[in-house]
Amino acid sequence: MSRLTAMVPRTLGRPLSAIGGLLLLIAALLPWATFVLNEGAYPEKSTLQFFDAPFELTGFRWHLLLFGVAALVVTFVPLPSKGRVLRAVGWGGLAISLVNAVFITSEGGGIGAITAADGNFAFGSIVGFIGGLALIFGSAGIGLAEIPRLPDLPRVVEYLVLLVAFAATLWLVSETLTAGGSAGVSSPYAGAVFLAFLGMAGGLLGALHGVGVTGWISQMSERHRAFSVIVLLVCAAALPFTSAGTQYWMNVAGTVGIYAATAIGLNIVVGLAGLLDLGYVAFMGIGAFVSANLSGAAAAKLGITLPFPVAAVIAAVIVGVFGVIVGSPTLRVRGDYLAIVTLAFGEIFTRSAQNNVGDLTGGANAIPSIPPIAVGGLQFNEPIDLFGTKLPSGVMYYFLITLLVALVMAVFANLKNSRIGRAWIAIREDEDVARAMGIKTGKMKILAFLTGSMLAGLAGAVFAHKLGTASYDAFTFLQSVTLLAAVILGGMGSIPGAVMGAALLFVLPEKLREFEDYRLLLFGLALILIMRFRPQGLVPDRLRRAEFAGETPDGKPIEEVEEQAVLEHEHELESSKGSKA
Amino acid sequence: MTTLLQQIANGLVLGATIGLIAVGYTMVYGIIQLINFAHGEIFMTGAFGGLAVWRFVPGVKDMDWYFALPLMLVGGVVVSVTIAVLMERFAYRPLRNAPRLAPLITALGVSIGLQEAVRIWFPDADRSQSFPREFVKTQVSIGPIEVPATGLLLIAVSIALGALVQFYINKSRLGRAMRATSQDPDTARLMGVNPDRVIVLTFVIGAILAGVAGVLYGMHVQTLGVRAGFQNGIFAFTAAVLGGIGSLPGAVVGAFVIGMVKTLGGQYLPGGTQYDYVWIFVVLILVLVFRPQGLFGESEKVRA
Repeated sequence: MSRLTAMVPRTLGRPLSAIGGLLLLIAALLPWATFVLNEGAYPEKSTLQFFDAPFELTGFRWHLLLFGVAALVVTFVPLPSKGRVLRAVGWGGLAISLVNAVFITSEGGGIGAITAADGNFAFGSIVGFIGGLALIFGSAGIGLAEIPRLPDLPRVVEYLVLLVAFAATLWLVSETLTAGGSAGVSSPYAGAVFLAFLGMAGGLLGALHGVGVTGWISQMSERHRAFSVIVLLVCAAALPFTSAGTQYWMNVAGTVGIYAATAIGLNIVVGLAGLLDLGYVAFMGIGAFVSANLSGAAAAKLGITLPFPVAAVIAAVIVGVFGVIVGSPTLRVRGDYLAIVTLAFGEIFTRSAQNNVGDLTGGANAIPSIPPIAVGGLQFNEPIDLFGTKLPSGVMYYFLITLLVALVMAVFANLKNSRIGRAWIAIREDEDVARAMGIKTGKMKILAFLTGSMLAGLAGAVFAHKLGTASYDAFTFLQSVTLLAAVILGGMGSIPGAVMGAALLFVLPEKLREFEDYRLLLFGLALILIMRFRPQGLVPDRLRRAEFAGETPDGKPIEEVEEQAVLEHEHELESSKGSKA
Repeated sequence: MTTLLQQIANGLVLGATIGLIAVGYTMVYGIIQLINFAHGEIFMTGAFGGLAVWRFVPGVKDMDWYFALPLMLVGGVVVSVTIAVLMERFAYRPLRNAPRLAPLITALGVSIGLQEAVRIWFPDADRSQSFPREFVKTQVSIGPIEVPATGLLLIAVSIALGALVQFYINKSRLGRAMRATSQDPDTARLMGVNPDRVIVLTFVIGAILAGVAGVLYGMHVQTLGVRAGFQNGIFAFTAAVLGGIGSLPGAVVGAFVIGMVKTLGGQYLPGGTQYDYVWIFVVLILVLVFRPQGLFGESEKVRA
């Protein structure tokens, strides 16, 4: 692709982009399917004719219309980095068209569904696809200028901007969650609608990044960290009040939150300390089983019932002990070998749990009916009334899990910027040099395992209570790989990355129920493709991004900086020679 | 006593299977320092390739075993070699200079992807398949115990192929190129060796052995599922590490030890066969922690 786009001459850039924008706009107004699909109209008003009712567009066609208009405007407006914006919009439009074209073709039983059949025509997806391509090529002709740096503003204005940005994020998250509805009989097209929405969201974020807005906002939020954290928490707490506030989505959001917390914990071990752990989910499992046994589940062998906080703390401590045991081989084993040792520990855990080791795990029967968390008579699994709004059941778990994620994030962020965190990063980069610098590498590596495992144990305890059961098959090798993939997909060592990765990997299967059979296949392919094309992840940590791009952390190319340094040095040498003479 | 002998015989057969896979593991690791998780899947696809020949090639079912078996072996080897070459070309080669973790995660992806691809697209592969054994039903009596002829065949093939590969690597021109590349790819390139070719050849040799192992294994246990590759792959990796990774005789000996540990552990250690996997992993951890160079390995090199 990059070889092709490089051939676009400068003069063609603007016309191509204009054509692309226009095509996207036209595509939105064209019919998309020649006939109504078997399971109901898709998309809504699928046979809407050109300019029949331009203001009745909904869903992805509405997004496409907006993209087209935006592309046309941007093409003719003096904007320094317009190439980047157009490229993002082009990819977004391309993705939306492609998803729908493939889906309508396969659902409608042939290419006739998106071209012409029975005297009807529906070239929407094809026109959209070409429009997207034209934009991508046009943007290459215009060229990708440097992302502009937006100005700093007075404090109050910056607060306002941050508020707006986080509110927009909240809207995007809730829309993304509910896009297409929950898959199943009620909305048979959930998967396609959701994927098209993702295409739109990706295009939108890319365009914002191109204008420099995302970088600007992230700098602002770094400047006002306390304020951003509070606003972010408020936003997270506000999610149940949006359209995502149903029992189903609260459940999904809660599960995603638990996996996100675990992924951040894993991020300490893998992302910061660079110790590849392929059996991490075992810690979560141990936490789940310990807390289940301590909370008076019916099948538990120990007949004691402790309140949840006590059980959770005990679980975390016990898991921490296991973490130290699993981590101890790191003193002697490195790299790939360590990965295998952790894999072996993970497998031992799964096998033992499956065989009901010591009557503690229930074996294939699992440990059912773990009582829900209760604080002062409030059962966490029941619906509640808050500020006059009726919130569905599961919402209390959502709040608890939000707090858990916040706690884990706080631990991670503080550790990362501490002496310990820097020691971990040094070990990740080069263990021998780190040791030579006086870092006690053994102690530090064990500490990484201890912290990571305790966080996972805590998450596991909440998980068991939320689910009501603890079963070994929720903690297998595949879950470990999925968590690892979440960390890598998001970007190693970065918090937003881990959350985003976990959200993507655990929401996608919910949305793509109709592709259930292909889920793991796609997952495997995704792992390969990510490693091939974006090994630094979606939201890379600042240092790592610089490392992968060959840049310094402030975004200058390393080669340039080095050349500069050499030149300066030579200059100094010469001037000192001159002064001697 | 009979039980012990019988378990030893079972262990040897299992060890022979694992040994054939472990050779591929150890060779690939020796040359590009990659733990090729997907190597177990090569074994699995090989077995399915053999099964496909049996099922879909007309006439094979009516042949005598000395015609049918070689045909199935050829089918299995063709499939496994094709997949190994594609895997090397499209998944691993682009990552040769990437950070260390990247190829390992790619290998995980390839492994999951291959398992699922076979499960989805091989007819009926979403449940265990029965593997034909009509043509080798014979049980051979050795003293008080009986061993299926397929088991003896596995042991014989394993030792023979292991020795052959060892001979090839030590004596042939390409074998010398292989050893040179594993020691120092850059210098080998200066000496006129084409590392890409050598690496592909390594994958091919590993895949041939794995494919043969797959068909024979399927025939021996008579059932075949898509998860067979992963488990046996892990066992094979354990064997390779136990024998000292990079060492061919080590891999084969390690495999026989692992086979013994599994069958004898399942018989005599607490927990019975439900825990036999656990003992293998315990052995793996102990070896890695206390003797990472393995039984036959050279003393530990500093690896980044």
